[in-house]
Amino acid sequence: MQQHPFVAILTRLGTFVLVMIALSIMIFILARIVPGDPARMALGPAATQDQVDALRGQMGLDQPLVLQYLDYAGKALRGDLGMSLVSQRPVTTDLSQTVPATLELVLVSVVFMFAVAIPLGVLIAHYRDRAVDHLGRLLSLTGVTIPSFLFAITLQLLAARYLSGWPIIGRLDHDLNWTGGPTGFLLLDGLLTGRPDVSLNALQHLILPAFALSMAGIGQITRITRSAMIENQRKDHVLTLKSFGVPERVIIFRYLLKLSSIAPLTIMGLEFASLIGNAFVIEMIFAWGGFASYGLNAILQKDLNAVTAVVLVAGLFFIVANLIVDVLITMIDPRLRRKEAR
Amino acid sequence: MAEIKMLDASDRGLSGGYMMWYRFSRNPSAVIGTLILLSVVILAVFAPFLTPFPKHVGAVVDFRARHLPPDWTHWFGTDKVGRDIFSRTVFGLRISLLLVIGVLGISVPVGAILGLIAGYFGGWSEKLISGLTNVMLAMPPLVMALAVSNLLEPNLMNAMIAITLLWWTWHARLIYAVSKSIASEDYIEAARLAGAGPIHILFREILPNCIPVLSVKTTLDAAFVILFGATLSFLGFGVKPPIPDLGSMVADGRQFMPDYWWEVLCPGAAVLYTTLGFNLLGDGLRDMFDVES
Repeated sequence: MQQHPFVAILTRLGTFVLVMIALSIMIFILARIVPGDPARMALGPAATQDQVDALRGQMGLDQPLVLQYLDYAGKALRGDLGMSLVSQRPVTTDLSQTVPATLELVLVSVVFMFAVAIPLGVLIAHYRDRAVDHLGRLLSLTGVTIPSFLFAITLQLLAARYLSGWPIIGRLDHDLNWTGGPTGFLLLDGLLTGRPDVSLNALQHLILPAFALSMAGIGQITRITRSAMIENQRKDHVLTLKSFGVPERVIIFRYLLKLSSIAPLTIMGLEFASLIGNAFVIEMIFAWGGFASYGLNAILQKDLNAVTAVVLVAGLFFIVANLIVDVLITMIDPRLRRKEAR
Repeated sequence: MAEIKMLDASDRGLSGGYMMWYRFSRNPSAVIGTLILLSVVILAVFAPFLTPFPKHVGAVVDFRARHLPPDWTHWFGTDKVGRDIFSRTVFGLRISLLLVIGVLGISVPVGAILGLIAGYFGGWSEKLISGLTNVMLAMPPLVMALAVSNLLEPNLMNAMIAITLLWWTWHARLIYAVSKSIASEDYIEAARLAGAGPIHILFREILPNCIPVLSVKTTLDAAFVILFGATLSFLGFGVKPPIPDLGSMVADGRQFMPDYWWEVLCPGAAVLYTTLGFNLLGDGLRDMFDVES
């Protein structure tokens, strides 16, 4: 007995809400039990104890932890995540300026992953146990095992040596006179405001970091696609198609590929958390200035409101990614879709 | 050594130790992985005798020899204060292996025991495990480890604690799934009818059946822990200088890119070599035991 796909997705949504709540409680407690007084940190060592106490009252730090959390959660739902101690601005303002940069990077690298890994996985599954297969498996294993910082720095090194003039840090050249667009996604903003040169320049900047970020996923997805293709070749309906004399090309691209893309999609969803984690490293190396750079800085500076927000947003990324994966799988898998007709 | 112990544990069935050895020797990825790991362990354990400049692990300064490219004396070149990078890399492997032993030595037994209990008894422990792992899944582990270790104090010990706190859930989840499916087997019921207590059933009947899955998972995890530790120390959450660890050596060398590339690529390649070894062995074990990941 399977549920209606719509109900299944709603159930998942409910689980995700619970996960978000648990995550927020966890990080909230973690950020409150740290050694050190946030009020004292905000005011600096020169402030008197009275001033610190006053600010503690103002920040609600003298309340019980449960009330503090409810207060925080209530404000968070209304879009108020508190002030950043370092930037002295609302955390939401900081986030709205940094999240698009990271999102653009992550989305492009997800595109890279599927564009490279699925064809590669199909190819090496087709040439199973031949030279192409061994080479492809070695490459994908290297993708899984290589430290992302090593790969990123190597890319930078190669670009600096052999592609003179190719940008290796930042999101955009400084001499473009770009003042910012409506969405914060440079590829999109450039087109929307009639500045294709900005889009092109942004794309050039994107390629290396997006490739570096996608490497682990490329390795993983290639491996999963290969084993799914090989396993599904033995399925009855595929054997039937073969015995009817349907050309191999048609079998692979019309039937097998669809069936075999479910496993990589699921893995993609689960791996999304480590993708965000890797973005911390990649953004640092490529001076990207996105959400992950902001998060790393917040952690180093013990900027508690910012750290809490960064963890929550990272969790939200993961959850949205997995919802999208769920919807895609429901669309692909006829066994899930057909339940709708009943 | 680890794999030999594992073979003993799983060969009590019909296949026999010889069968396992045969399968192992016919599996190139397991053999290559084992050889790589053997070389890493030998290098790390006997580092003071095998490295040309063991003193360079400390705060040695020799400015005449700084930034030398790789040659026959300095296989991996020298760093910004003239220390031999090969010696420091080999000693850096010690930190990586310690991290693996520390993290997995705690999180595997803890996770396995909790997973066994949840799988066999069900009830609230079952709900707790699946709830916790759902939350942990949504959490970028790197971000969590950074947050925990920094809120305490950024050093490798705290980073290790942070990783361990996260890691046991994965083993709990895996063992939970396996032991749940085993718990309904007839022979478990037979053991219960014969008067076996829960301790006997958990550890003598169910646990041995989890060993193949657990050994594959643990081997692959070792690679992740090393990657993870190297990434943390690359970001500045590592051991205190001058003790060499691979991630911070890469971070140090990055200031001198692209001219002195060996200062980054050589310690980085050592991380890759080690993680490759664990992954090859893990893949090989998976084929040998024929378990699904």
